[in-house]
Amino acid sequence: MEKHMAVCPYCGTGCKLNLLVEGGKVVGAEPLNGVTNEGELCLKGYFGYDFINDTKLLTPRLRNPMLRRSRDAAFEAVSWDEAIQYAAKKLGEIKAKYGPDSIMTTGSSRGTGNETNYVMQKFTRAVLGTNNVDNCARVCHGPSVAGLQVTLGNGAMSNSIPEIEHTKCVLVFGYNVADSHPVIAKRIIKAKERGAKIIVCDPRKIETARLADLWLPLNNGSNMALVNAFANVLINEGLYNKEYVASHTEGFDEYKKIVDKYTPEYAAAITGLPADDIREAMRIYAAAPSATILWGMGVTQWSQGVDVVKGLSGLALLTGNLGRPNVGVGPVRGQNNVQGSCDMGVLPTEFPGYQKVTDPEIREKFAKAWGVDSLPGEIGYRLTDVPHLAETGKLKAMYVMGEDPAQTEPDLTQVRKGFEAMEFVIVQDIFMTKTAMFADLILPATSWGEHEGVFSAADRSFQRFTKAVDAKGDVKHDWEIISLLATAMGYPMHYNNTKEIWDELRELCPIFYGVTYEKMEGLGAVPWPCRDLDSAGSKYLYEGNVFQRPGGKGLLFATEWRPPQDQLTEEFPLILCTVREVGHYSCRSMTGNCAALQTLADEPGYVTINPKDAKALGIRDQELVWVSSRRGKVITRASVTDRTNKGAVYMTYQWWIGACNELTIHAVDPIAKTPEYKYAAVRVEAIADQIWAENYVQQEYAKLKGGLSNAVTGAAKKAPAYA
Amino acid sequence: MNKFVTANPSKCIGCRTCEIACALAHSEGAGVEGLAPGSFKPRIRMVKTADVSTAVMCHHCEDAPCVNACPNNAIVYRQHSVQVEQERCLGCKNCVLACPFGVMDVVTVPAVRQFAGMTLSLGVKAQAHKCDLCIERGDAGPACVSVCPTSALTLMDREAMDETLRRRRERAALEAAEVAA
Repeated sequence: MEKHMAVCPYCGTGCKLNLLVEGGKVVGAEPLNGVTNEGELCLKGYFGYDFINDTKLLTPRLRNPMLRRSRDAAFEAVSWDEAIQYAAKKLGEIKAKYGPDSIMTTGSSRGTGNETNYVMQKFTRAVLGTNNVDNCARVCHGPSVAGLQVTLGNGAMSNSIPEIEHTKCVLVFGYNVADSHPVIAKRIIKAKERGAKIIVCDPRKIETARLADLWLPLNNGSNMALVNAFANVLINEGLYNKEYVASHTEGFDEYKKIVDKYTPEYAAAITGLPADDIREAMRIYAAAPSATILWGMGVTQWSQGVDVVKGLSGLALLTGNLGRPNVGVGPVRGQNNVQGSCDMGVLPTEFPGYQKVTDPEIREKFAKAWGVDSLPGEIGYRLTDVPHLAETGKLKAMYVMGEDPAQTEPDLTQVRKGFEAMEFVIVQDIFMTKTAMFADLILPATSWGEHEGVFSAADRSFQRFTKAVDAKGDVKHDWEIISLLATAMGYPMHYNNTKEIWDELRELCPIFYGVTYEKMEGLGAVPWPCRDLDSAGSKYLYEGNVFQRPGGKGLLFATEWRPPQDQLTEEFPLILCTVREVGHYSCRSMTGNCAALQTLADEPGYVTINPKDAKALGIRDQELVWVSSRRGKVITRASVTDRTNKGAVYMTYQWWIGACNELTIHAVDPIAKTPEYKYAAVRVEAIADQIWAENYVQQEYAKLKGGLSNAVTGAAKKAPAYA
Repeated sequence: MNKFVTANPSKCIGCRTCEIACALAHSEGAGVEGLAPGSFKPRIRMVKTADVSTAVMCHHCEDAPCVNACPNNAIVYRQHSVQVEQERCLGCKNCVLACPFGVMDVVTVPAVRQFAGMTLSLGVKAQAHKCDLCIERGDAGPACVSVCPTSALTLMDREAMDETLRRRRERAALEAAEVAA
């Protein structure tokens, strides 16, 4: 049996593991003693590898380039030569006719790795000539990056994952660590065992709430009011660190003026929390000699996400919980390489290494290195703008790599209309996805396990992963495909391996310069910034309390609470909040093809509902129900549980039948453009004929699966030479 | 003393990694690809209520109700654990009703016999289905314990039990001292 070192391709914890290979097939996974996982894995790490083997449980692996010459035609398998020439011609024509800004690309925060993302943004900027490149951080921790860059100067977790277990207080805000990052949950449990106080702010009784010293079940959509009230308590009870605030922050007077109104009593009316619990939380937080704030999508997926992120960083600044070990602010990244895709500049605002596209000197540096006369200086489009831009004719072509927006974006009806309105869509993936069904051209890539590269864990650690097996079928590495396309479009691009790409980007990004492949050998993890070849990187940021802002001080920022966008009415009286579950990941193209994981949970998924709400609606546990909003209607299964608060229901976002994004609203944060997945007004209805409903689910599921699978097998039949 | 697996609810995060590991450890080498919803029968089960998440599994009782209830002596004490001699199991379910923890079940599996190079179907065979402490894994120990990402599961043997008791007594002594003071 062979063993090949890898980094888990699921959440952002960055667990190191060995893939066990027998006869060219991955047959198992075992944990390694990586820096962030220390010999642990969760169920996805242990049992989430068999998607590589094309189990076809949900959807088949792609084996050939597939082309559809018109939208009403079926896909046909074509040669790489034809696929690349076709794409180059179409993109060239669209660029010539409508300008470079009519084309958009995506990076991928998943198994492909940092090198591919670097190549994708290089292609977009240097070859297409636009900054229209984005990644799914937009729908996830985009607000954390945008908010923290303003207040502290750096959008990433300030401290490392291993430090969590040594802090004396963990303030968990809108972050279901047990379901999102099981191996990080262990750090919190260990912190508690070492005497740390745990405070959890979440409307649901999540696992961490169960273990918490203090649980604040705030009303859905009241984050800003609670964060302001926290600041109010810290200031008015004199709990804040006056010396630290005076030496290392700015904006205190303005900040104090805004939060003054948010007394615990005032916030109690908005948050539904007892005023004394709000006070108690801050007394615990401020008293701790070291304290860490961790947050997730419960903070960011709101139309007021950026403001709340800034507010949370304010709590750390007020108490001096930054710039040293075991403290800090932690936006814990959900996808294995969403930190990496931001690091690599698949963002419409930034080159790799967080260098602004609006800075002429930076543009000149990259233009020179990439051998082009100039690079675009206008900020590009955001991923969430795409449906609207396509419908209004501004966006004509899209090159989607390793993402499934037709599953993961809000208000899917709008997303589908957007794809239909575009003239040319390329989808590059390892699986046939719902998004790929909208493509004109499908480009098949190698999977995690079939290629090597570097991922960035949630705590900024760069780690290498290696190839375990040879890919089957006529597929290529993502970066290879993009290079071929660039070359066909008149920009010769060629790399022999990922290390060549890595070394090119290191030279261009001062904060990554010291991170060599050699340092990342084996279990090596190097957290950026790492500016020198002899540096081991930075476990925590802001050493000496120097913030990466002009003047070096942290900014205290507060603003008024704004209510969520969607309106509860008699017709739509319940709040729908979309969440995740531990056994499935992202759009589910990977975990849905893993036998163990789909054994634990399969279609149509669940809507969790409080027993009181269920009773009023005549709904019993495990029955199928309709959930509808102003935008759509889906069938799903009720899970009646006391852990769900009254007045709100929760659905996970990976199901095809119980697709909650048919219901969610396209209301976005004004700065980060991140959608308000956490608040949509819905109605839940019982279904009298459960036998009909069970059959309906099975039929619809079979139809959807069959459609995707037939597209692949049909294409292969049409051109047997390439099958 | 019989060994048994204990779960600590203050460490459990309800992830069900243990359930998959259990099913796989008893899949006779079929691997993950042999798992499917219809045949998924882990011997350890994660239970989630409003306030508790934890795994429940066989306690390998010293005076086991299942052993006492079995009319055919199919359940026996062996290697410091309670084991089932499956060939003797009738599928009568007395043990299921007797178990106060709800961790004994009776399942049926296809029964076959080899005869002259052919596989003959013999209908179904009943099996009393419970934690066997992964006795066939030998020194590797129970699979659930080895995978739990939060170390919520531990294998309790005499030594581990003595250590737990020692710590409890120490705590009791300290608490008593506090009360006295």
